[in-house]
Amino acid sequence: MSCDPERITGYVDGALDPEARAAVEEHLASCPACRDQVEFERGVRERLRGLPAPTPAPGLEPRIRRRLAAEHASAMRWLLPLAASLTLAALWTRGFAPLVAWELARDHAHCFGRPRLPAQVVSDDPARVSAWFEDHGTLLPVIPAHAGGLELVGGRYCWLPDGTRAAHVYYGGEDGHLSMFVIARSVRIGSGYRQLMRGENVDLSRLGGLTVGLVSEDVNAIGALRERLTTTVASRAEARRSPAD
Amino acid sequence: MKAMYATALRLTRNPHDAEDLVQETFLRAFRGFDGYTSGTNIRAWLYTILHRARTDALRRSSRVPPMEELSSDGPGLPPPQDALAGGQEDLARALDGLPESFRAAVVLRDVEELSYQEIAQVLAIPVGTVMSRIHRGRLLLRKTLGGRRP
Repeated sequence: MSCDPERITGYVDGALDPEARAAVEEHLASCPACRDQVEFERGVRERLRGLPAPTPAPGLEPRIRRRLAAEHASAMRWLLPLAASLTLAALWTRGFAPLVAWELARDHAHCFGRPRLPAQVVSDDPARVSAWFEDHGTLLPVIPAHAGGLELVGGRYCWLPDGTRAAHVYYGGEDGHLSMFVIARSVRIGSGYRQLMRGENVDLSRLGGLTVGLVSEDVNAIGALRERLTTTVASRAEARRSPAD
Repeated sequence: MKAMYATALRLTRNPHDAEDLVQETFLRAFRGFDGYTSGTNIRAWLYTILHRARTDALRRSSRVPPMEELSSDGPGLPPPQDALAGGQEDLARALDGLPESFRAAVVLRDVEELSYQEIAQVLAIPVGTVMSRIHRGRLLLRKTLGGRRP
């Protein structure tokens, strides 16, 4: 090999493969200039390693620690809500009844709290409201035009924390409001779940394979509508059984 | 932190810039810690961040480290004994006098003792370029320390 100063540098640093290293060693035996380069580079490496490390000003480390602490606090400001949201979504996904009830109560208050009820279908005709939801992919239980002194008003879809939607049917009148939610997914409610949530009565039950949530400040209106729905579902099931008998 | 500061100072040659660079490096490391691969050299990872921060700072100030072309390695090099005869101050001054691209490669290799592969990762250049820059940096040191203009 002829003189190759860059390769000599690689040799000094142990960066060559065995074959190249052997070639360099053979060349060094007959080349004083390259031996000088090896001697210098080994010497300068050793001296560079021995250079005293400059010391930073005493204030640098505390300043960096303060900045990192501030950064950490800032990160936690969005990390905590994010973690909370993920936890809520996970609980929702698992069909955790109190969370479902809380969300339905929140949506009920949100809709009836607005100056104008956010409805996608406005009608007091149960057939028309049911047909609208059916056209949009949700089969409702047979709903009555009125229950507990409240009249059917209309409905809309509302979005749930897991990204699915629930059919939201409105009942209203002089004496109050009632929401009926129909959720396609199952919720762990056992034989039924009743709870006061955000100042509203929430009633969750399974009807004909659907999860139905009723929300109202008036517990009697909820009872009346549940009875109407249960009777309808029972009579439907009876009607389905009859032809086979 | 002390080693990071030492490297930052050797790159910037200015204590104020070096402190800013170290602070920026640690903040970026904190924000991007998920970019660190467990089991790899954390020093090399930190030096990579430091070098990027340095490049960004230079870009912001529109300063580009000057590159130096060497005519040849040819005859006239001082004998190694002469070049190595000076004290630490001479060596530190000669190191400071290197163009930044060579200085960074020499410092990472000879002071921080990173491998060629690690230096290539830190400086985002091929391994062959690492060897070339280290060679040219040491050659300039030899010429400077031997009392001759490179």
